[in-house]
Amino acid sequence: MKRKLTVILLAAVCTIGISACQANNSKPDSAAAATAAASTGSKADYESALAAANKAMKEAKSVDGLWRDTGKILKGAEKAAKAGDYAKATKMAKTAEFQGHMGASQAKSQKNVGTPSWMN
Amino acid sequence: MKKTVLLTVAAVALLAGYGAAFADTSPDQDLKTWHTYFDKKFPGVDLQEYSNGVYAIDKVSRDSWEAIEEFPPYEPMIEDGEAMWNKPFANGKTYASCFHGTPAVADKFPYWDLSRKMVISLPLAINECRKANGEKPLKYAKGPITRLLAYMAYESRGQVTDVKIPNKAAMAAYKDGRRYYFTRRGQLNFSCATCHVQNAGMHVRTDILSPALGHTTGWPVYRSKWGDLGTLHRRFKGCHKQMRAKPPKPQIAEMRNLEYFLTYMSNGIEYNGPSARK
Repeated sequence: MKRKLTVILLAAVCTIGISACQANNSKPDSAAAATAAASTGSKADYESALAAANKAMKEAKSVDGLWRDTGKILKGAEKAAKAGDYAKATKMAKTAEFQGHMGASQAKSQKNVGTPSWMN
Repeated sequence: MKKTVLLTVAAVALLAGYGAAFADTSPDQDLKTWHTYFDKKFPGVDLQEYSNGVYAIDKVSRDSWEAIEEFPPYEPMIEDGEAMWNKPFANGKTYASCFHGTPAVADKFPYWDLSRKMVISLPLAINECRKANGEKPLKYAKGPITRLLAYMAYESRGQVTDVKIPNKAAMAAYKDGRRYYFTRRGQLNFSCATCHVQNAGMHVRTDILSPALGHTTGWPVYRSKWGDLGTLHRRFKGCHKQMRAKPPKPQIAEMRNLEYFLTYMSNGIEYNGPSARK
């Protein structure tokens, strides 16, 4: 059931998305790349990732696009850094950055929504 | 694995954008569209039935709900609310002094305040009444305010939803609420409409998604999940969490505008709060 729901959700999202792909110029490519990048686990890497995450979250907040768990993930990163696990902390900070960028892009894409045509 | 799937879903959705077309329709047009849409989706369901939420469209859950309503779990809370209504503030006045002497005011809310240029909801009016009489405001999501709201809702049963949009500023608030309702948000990229319009009647695991029509008539609601009464804005908050969006605080302007729009969409449907839900 769970798998079925996921597949349906994915299919629905893809269907909606493909038609509008060209109209949207916002590309959270840096965030995606950041998530994909492997962390070396240094303090400097963490601090850089933390600054980027905070910036992305600020942007998402400014457009009312924050996701539920982004703040928690960032707190987790800070906790890991305090414990000296910079690899984990950097990875978490990059996830928070990714979510911040995605939340901001999402909110910007929804600026002028109204009663959708599929209701007619 | 689960995390990867969710991130992929979100990434695809966001990169793709949201391609649906939106027309700048009037509230009357919106209301007609909603009625026609739900008529087609649930043929034979009377408009007034939508005040019963999911129990309007699912016989099995309706049977158990009707059994619950024989001894409503919210009944003692209505009595608590009545006691609150009658208990004088420290200055000797009561809530009656703020509501023209009657608790039966559900059909007056939410309304557009012409001088303050904002949507006033009933919970907001209750707290403004308290502050004006030197009392501390109550928390908006749960607790004592739900008792008072339960009593006021009970006394208002049978009143008909009749939200008005008196001017351009009110129209802007309505449109803001409408935009909010249809805005996809959170990691799951859902809008309120994804569940309660587009997929109303469908299963999410063991639950059936309730139709949006009539969503504002039965508050406060005793949810078995909560084991207590909660306000409409408490449910708004819960929906945000389920969409994995950062939940808003109850009674902020955006949530009152959302309530304004959603209540307008229930115009013509009777109030029947408080009510019980799963």
